[in-house]
Amino acid sequence: MSKRNKIRKMFSAIFFLILLIPVFQKLYAQDAEKNRVRLKADYVKIMDGEIYFDIGATSRVNNENIDVANITLIISNEFNDEETELGKVTTNMEGKAKFVLKSLAAIKPDSTNTYNVVISFMGNDGFKRASKSISFKDAIIKANIITKDSVNYMSATLIDASKDSLLSNQLLNVQVQRLFRPLRIGKEFNSTDENGTILVPIEEGIPGVDGILTFEVVLKESDDYGTVKAIVEAPLGIPIVDESTFDERTMWSPRNKTPLFLLIVPNLLIFGMWGIIVYLTVNLFKISKIKNQNQKNENI
Amino acid sequence: MNISDKLINDLAPRKFGRWGVIWTWSLIIISIAGIIAYIDQVIKGQIVTNMNDYALWGIYISNFVFFVATSFVGAVTVAVLRLTKNTWRTPIVRIAEIISVASIIMAGITIMIDMGRPDRLLNLFIHGRMQSPIIWDVIIIPTYIVISLLLLYFPLLPDLALLKKHFKKTSPKLSKWYGKLSLNWTGSAAQKILQMNSIRIVAFLTIPAGFMLQTIDAWLFSTLFRVGWDSTNMGAYFISGASVAGVGALVTVVYVLRRAYKLEDYITDFHFDKMGKFLVLTCLIYLYFNINEYLIPEFTSKKEEITHMNVLVTGKYAPLFWFVNIGGLIVPIITLLFEKGRKPLPMFFVGLLVVVGSWWKRYLIVTPTLLNPFLPMEGVPEAWHHYFPSVHEWLITFATLAMALLIITILVRYLPIIPMQRTADEQEALLKIEKNKEI
Repeated sequence: MSKRNKIRKMFSAIFFLILLIPVFQKLYAQDAEKNRVRLKADYVKIMDGEIYFDIGATSRVNNENIDVANITLIISNEFNDEETELGKVTTNMEGKAKFVLKSLAAIKPDSTNTYNVVISFMGNDGFKRASKSISFKDAIIKANIITKDSVNYMSATLIDASKDSLLSNQLLNVQVQRLFRPLRIGKEFNSTDENGTILVPIEEGIPGVDGILTFEVVLKESDDYGTVKAIVEAPLGIPIVDESTFDERTMWSPRNKTPLFLLIVPNLLIFGMWGIIVYLTVNLFKISKIKNQNQKNENI
Repeated sequence: MNISDKLINDLAPRKFGRWGVIWTWSLIIISIAGIIAYIDQVIKGQIVTNMNDYALWGIYISNFVFFVATSFVGAVTVAVLRLTKNTWRTPIVRIAEIISVASIIMAGITIMIDMGRPDRLLNLFIHGRMQSPIIWDVIIIPTYIVISLLLLYFPLLPDLALLKKHFKKTSPKLSKWYGKLSLNWTGSAAQKILQMNSIRIVAFLTIPAGFMLQTIDAWLFSTLFRVGWDSTNMGAYFISGASVAGVGALVTVVYVLRRAYKLEDYITDFHFDKMGKFLVLTCLIYLYFNINEYLIPEFTSKKEEITHMNVLVTGKYAPLFWFVNIGGLIVPIITLLFEKGRKPLPMFFVGLLVVVGSWWKRYLIVTPTLLNPFLPMEGVPEAWHHYFPSVHEWLITFATLAMALLIITILVRYLPIIPMQRTADEQEALLKIEKNKEI
């Protein structure tokens, strides 16, 4: 074999080896165990507000549940065995994502007026592909406040929007929005009657900013309708007296809002003391000058 | 040799002997070691200290409080004795003024040592809030430094003029300096009037300034809702404690200088007796405040107060607590109540005991309270419940103490430690009285 052939074979071997590197890598990657992603999705509809899917991605890794962050999820509408992509979201550091639907008209229901949405994860180096389907029907809550015998009530009616029929025996929560978690009012369970309605008395004395209370009537995580929420604002609360001292001159204010007595008294003391110090320093100069005058007199 | 010549010979600054040189170099070496440790602290940060999220004030702050307390000697002895016309004060006032100047300068430096970012010192002035006692402290310390310097300087003028003459032949260079510092003092009537008026004013000013300084120092603690600090008694408590520390330091330094300069003719047993009575008075007042401070929480029995008291009385700080109260107060009081206890040597040991007790007292004011947090955190490291200063902290603290002594040493080296002119005037006046009696 000539020397040239040897070199050719050697280069060919190196070239094929280089070509095979991705294959080896792929094989190795396939051997590495991938974790399964668990997707959770809730459909939430706020009356006269946004409609969205609350999505959560978790995984069990080393016998521990972890939030799966930074994975891209595809949201599709399933209709007639076809999936139409609605958009993509990426999970945050807590493994959560929110996909806002512009309107329910953007997706198509099946023959039973049920909307089918699929949330898919295409998989990556660490996690296997996964998907989650959710189905829901459109429901409406009509809520308003009525007054009977000087008692205020929250009246709410639950309606199946597709059939325009009243939904009875459904549990609705009535609550007031608070800073950390809502304050539930009325009974623990308020079941809709045959008219699809609940009537919950609103107790007096609930504080609210300027007396305005924000009530929520919630159908929570229903198997058929998801979460539907109606929000009603009403001036039924006791106005919260703003006790903030933010604009006042207090001991805990920033320096531009120092209490006046703390500006006047210490400054009087400071200027008083430093005034005397200046006077004493002038006296030192005067003492020094007296000698000069003495000398001048002597010279004269 | 007339009275004036004898006085100048006896009281004019002298070169240090062998022990004086060893003493000075020892202080310089300790100071340098502390400066090196401080540079390391600035480079590495306060991680080199043993301070933590609980003990966020450590030995630096207790040392600072000690310096502030000791600086009160200027107000309590010089100013008060001058305004109450106690003539026995003459041979000790200069030493008190020197201690006061050294202590307040070192107090200002020590507070800066405690800062994690000393480069941000200017921010205290730029962004300071008048509501914060820290700002009051930032204002009063420089003010008190200037007042203490003036209190030292005004009475020095005639002595500096005397020294100018005295050193004219032996040390012209030194004489020139004394001449400059004496501000052309001739002892003319006009100069004397100005000087006496100024001394009276600065003595008067020293008292409110000293009270403000001690009270602000106390309010640094009492404005916080912390157990052991949350007390309306704190301002007066600190003033009485400062009197003890100041007079204790004065007694100790006076004894050492009397021995070193052989001033037995000028600082007599009579002066020690007077200082002893003064010290016992301050100790009794402080003891009274201590009883108030520690007894009332026992009666009111708030849980945190009881826990704090137990830590002090029977807990891990008990040896220090009892040393401070028995060694630093009760033993001095008992000793000084007897005439023999007010002789120079026993007074020296009492003064030393009082000073050491005063220093540890400040440590006890600062540390145990910090280790009992106002809002305890969950799951904190065990180490946060304990505090003992690191090597860096000890080195720096010893250096600050050495620097204070170095300032005193340098001033003692170049200034007459007993007012010469005033002593001469007093002695001449005494002679006149005796002559008149004879006639």
